[in-house]
Amino acid sequence: MSRVAEFLTRRRGGSGWDWTDIFTWVWLIAGIFVMFGPAVWLVLSSFKTPAALAEFPPTVLPMATEQVMVEGYDNPLELYSVSMPDGSEQVLAQVRRVGTIAQMVDPDAPDEIVKVNIAERTPQRRVAFATENYVVPLEQNDFLLYLRNSVFVTVMATIITLLTNSMAAFALSKYRFRGRDGVMLLIVATLMVPLSVILVPLYSVVNAVGLFDSLWGVILPTVATPTGVFLLRQYMLTIPDELLDAARMDHASEWQIYWRIILPLAAPALAVLAIFSIVWRWNDFLWPLVVLSRKELYTLQVGLNTYAGELNVQWHYILAMTVVTMIPVVLVFVFLQRYITAGIAGSGLK
Amino acid sequence: MGQITLSDIQRAYGNVKVLHDINLDIADGEFVVLVGPSGCGKSTLLRLLSGLDKPTAGRIEIDGKDVTQVSAADRGLAMVFQSYALYPHMSVRQNLAFGLENIQMPKAEIAERITEAARMLEITDYLDRRPGQLSGGQKQRVAIGRAVVRNPTAFLLDEPLSNLDAELRISTRAEISALHDRLKTTMIYVTHDQVEAMTLADRIVVMRAGRIEQVGRPLDLYNTPANLFVAGFIGAPRMNLLPVKIAEAGPQSVRVEGAGGLSIMVAADGSALQPGTDATLGIRPHDIRTGTGGDGSFTATVDLMEALGPETVAHATTDDGQKILAVLNGQDTTKAGDGISFAFDAGRTHLFDAEGQRLPPPRT
Repeated sequence: MSRVAEFLTRRRGGSGWDWTDIFTWVWLIAGIFVMFGPAVWLVLSSFKTPAALAEFPPTVLPMATEQVMVEGYDNPLELYSVSMPDGSEQVLAQVRRVGTIAQMVDPDAPDEIVKVNIAERTPQRRVAFATENYVVPLEQNDFLLYLRNSVFVTVMATIITLLTNSMAAFALSKYRFRGRDGVMLLIVATLMVPLSVILVPLYSVVNAVGLFDSLWGVILPTVATPTGVFLLRQYMLTIPDELLDAARMDHASEWQIYWRIILPLAAPALAVLAIFSIVWRWNDFLWPLVVLSRKELYTLQVGLNTYAGELNVQWHYILAMTVVTMIPVVLVFVFLQRYITAGIAGSGLK
Repeated sequence: MGQITLSDIQRAYGNVKVLHDINLDIADGEFVVLVGPSGCGKSTLLRLLSGLDKPTAGRIEIDGKDVTQVSAADRGLAMVFQSYALYPHMSVRQNLAFGLENIQMPKAEIAERITEAARMLEITDYLDRRPGQLSGGQKQRVAIGRAVVRNPTAFLLDEPLSNLDAELRISTRAEISALHDRLKTTMIYVTHDQVEAMTLADRIVVMRAGRIEQVGRPLDLYNTPANLFVAGFIGAPRMNLLPVKIAEAGPQSVRVEGAGGLSIMVAADGSALQPGTDATLGIRPHDIRTGTGGDGSFTATVDLMEALGPETVAHATTDDGQKILAVLNGQDTTKAGDGISFAFDAGRTHLFDAEGQRLPPPRT
């Protein structure tokens, strides 16, 4: 703790405050708000009821008005703090509201109705988490199914991506053949073609091979990534050829060289590509939306979209499920950020 | 058995020929060192032998069988690489076992061979470490161990000592020599260091620009270099090469004259030479002494004296501008700038004709 304190109070100008200290603090705190603000807002809002979401001005924490059961009334009544004409403060339950006048009762003396101008009362509120935002989509809607589909797509696509891309990278980095550089150039050139351009032809192909409306139709078109091939190839170029020669002298077949020498040695690059692939496939929206039409095949991102109807957007569910979909990506970043930095620095990609 | 024959080996990369008609016979159990300056094709030749690269033309035979088109794995050879090429993600034990597992050798036999090789090379204590945790010398032993467990017909070693520091290089050199004595397996060793070549080899193959310049026992190469290149390459410090002119040429002896009144009779067959043509006289620095008595002598000015203790290396310039190196016994007190007289014997000189070839010995 003392080291933390020492770190936090460390100042550039020795004992006094230098202007750079103040600037640094302001800058970093502003950075925290800019970076963390939206995420924190999302998480807090995901616990708000639809009414609290629609409220203006919005509150930071999810709030709910306190309710109480009063003798003689069937439904729970909302509690308000009221300034009485004699200047005292009293907590009353509201029975009904007529125009600017609220009819209220004292929960301890439920027989007597007190009429109060609505300007004289403020709701009694406390922090309350609307967990049903999470429970309802996960239990009653198909969100667990969507989650399973998303996990399946992400895991399978990542495994196949690593396998195929590393094979291509191995061939393009360790074998000399005519047109090698041309092939590499062609692969990298496809980086310049965005998905939206090839969406229609890709759809035709997927439809023609019978993969329409299947999870494999989501997985297979995405596994060959130029980024992955490029990243792995650049890394494999740094593996010395003498190792391959030594393995050849050691009776290793070309497949064994790939499987037992190249793959283990390319592990850092494979880790980077795995992270990228997980994030890409998890966050994919457009392509799954195009390919999948049966609801039970939806991935999380497509499933989220079902809450945005033409006339009514169920913001509380969207917010809650957005938090759910964020969790795996956040975990990936928390545990593997070391590799991500290394990967971005090493390949110049992001 | 490990008898290897190379016939008319050529290798070209595109239009660039790096090996021209290499012919070489290597006897079983022989320690052959390929030596030459960098780029002379010695490593390429070793790769052709190993099978990692194929010759453009020519034949390679091992024990009488043509293996020119046989793959590297099936030639029964083992190679030690300059960078050791140990698999960094495997332990030392796995490194040694990799090649044996690939030929489906029984596990018990693999373990036995590893134990034996580890004991011989004294690497038993770190069999479970990764190469990254080993020092350079230890890595070197593991690399040799990986070759030894294969029980090969011949070892190919590609500059195995070049990544070690000077002290370790000398001790490892002695160990390789001892290993060869024990295993009695053919070894083909590539180096650019002529000291390694001289100390290790049964026979040295001196190469330059894709051609073999001379093949012979180390002392034969030192005593009778076949041409100017070998004369300059073998022996440290380098042989002094003085430009001379043929004065008289006969089948028994040749008299040459050089600058500064140098005139000397060398026993050689000069019957093919014309008087007046250019020639080169070679004198090893160790064959020069101070003083005036001798078959030849000259005076010079000392540029630098390197006192090594038991001997002193004198860098001097003769009166007509010729640089001379001399290794003087003991500790000499002459200082830079002083004049000095050198003498040498005709019997210790080497005479090369205008093409740089050594003159044949006198006719009998």
